[in-house]
Amino acid sequence: MEAVEIKNLLQQQLGVDIEWCSDENGVGDPFAVVPAEKWLEACRLARGHEQLQFDYLRALTGTDRPEQEVIEVVAHLFSYRLRHPFVLKTRAQRTQPVLDSISAVWPAAEWYEREIFDLLGVDFRGHRDLRRIMMPDDWPGHPLRKDYQQPDDYHGIPTSRPRAEEQAND
Amino acid sequence: MEINLAVVFAFLVVSGLALFVFLLVGRLIRPQKFDPVKASTYECGERPFGQAWFSFNNRFYVIALVFIVFDVEVVLTVPAVVVFRRLLEQGLGWLAFLEIVVFLGILLVALIYAWSRGDLSWVKALQAPTCAPVEVGDKERQS
Amino acid sequence: MTHIERGPEGGYAVGPLDRLFNLARKHSLWYLLFGTACCAIELMQTGGPRADADRFGMMFRSTPRQADVLILAGTITYKMASRIRLLYDQMSEPKYVIAMGSCASTGGLFQKSYSVVNGGDLFLPVDVYIPGCPPRPESLVEGLMTVQRLIEKEPWLKKAWGKLPERSDPHLPKENV
Repeated sequence: MEAVEIKNLLQQQLGVDIEWCSDENGVGDPFAVVPAEKWLEACRLARGHEQLQFDYLRALTGTDRPEQEVIEVVAHLFSYRLRHPFVLKTRAQRTQPVLDSISAVWPAAEWYEREIFDLLGVDFRGHRDLRRIMMPDDWPGHPLRKDYQQPDDYHGIPTSRPRAEEQAND
Repeated sequence: MEINLAVVFAFLVVSGLALFVFLLVGRLIRPQKFDPVKASTYECGERPFGQAWFSFNNRFYVIALVFIVFDVEVVLTVPAVVVFRRLLEQGLGWLAFLEIVVFLGILLVALIYAWSRGDLSWVKALQAPTCAPVEVGDKERQS
Repeated sequence: MTHIERGPEGGYAVGPLDRLFNLARKHSLWYLLFGTACCAIELMQTGGPRADADRFGMMFRSTPRQADVLILAGTITYKMASRIRLLYDQMSEPKYVIAMGSCASTGGLFQKSYSVVNGGDLFLPVDVYIPGCPPRPESLVEGLMTVQRLIEKEPWLKKAWGKLPERSDPHLPKENV
């Protein structure tokens, strides 16, 4: 199926407007943005619907967009049976980002969601074990946010080196 | 065979002394800095938690028992075989042979017993069912 | 025959007995089998047949109790730093630390990253820095030979009997991480 057809099918099944963005020059993957409250339903549909059958979650990542005050979560999907790829996005409010967890649909999403929680701070409802995966467990803050400030030290280890000129003056 | 026991004694004394000297020299020139962190359990850098003891498979016990029995059998057979030629010259060949055969025969019975009980296989085969198998009701499976 | 070495308390001589022990020690430098990233590959190659570390008497040991030198081969993250510190603490004296490569020296390519420690010397006392990304095996061997030169000049017996001030370790952790 073509990407546009997939988007139309999703739109028809979900009953809400789906934002569609596709580059006419063919640069970059076309993607569809579903509202946050329909995220889990859209993913279930993507996996279960007989014309879609997206059984492979290639990647699940997030981007912080402070100018739109959202955190965008992107899922790259592929179907081995029907051989079509797709990109599905959703947006969570930046002040208190909460989304439904899709780890029940694709088990691979468990660790991806842990990573998004660790680095962007999105809370996934229904996730079995939501905790930090890359940063140490007691790390303050979410590093990939655009307004992230590096702490000065972590348990006594300074996070920046004194510059060479300062060191020479010591 | 005459062994000069004095040589053996000297050997033991010198080796003990050498060991003592090596350890003493090491103790003298080593830095001694005891630190509780340094003495903590090594677990590739992670802090250990919980117990280090765990329960082991008791099949090893059975294997060890069987091994001991047959190992001792071999150990006791070897000297008999070594002196067999001398006994043959003294005319005691048949007696020695008979003794060895009886000894091995007793332990052969033990081997057959252990084998037939299934003690030699790592995973014991399940016993054949002695009563009629219980049918799992179909309605239970469908629910 | 005797080295005179300057120390914080004035000069002290490295006598012939010291030189004997240092000779034995420097030709038997056992390094901890430790590596985090790409420099570890070069470390493995240095132990391999072409740039053979074994001809210097350097063997890899898997446990810090038997190791003399800790080679920080690779990028150090904050998560790993506490474990490296524990490994260093579990090594017995005399111990040396080599920061191999730019990541272990200064954070290297990943200096601006949120998860990378900008150099091993922020939590460990480092003796030798080896530049490179990754340093060639010959460079690592040169670094190890620099440790050998450091060992040559150590007044061994005074150190072992505690008559010298300890090498300062400003990074002793104040709390368990």
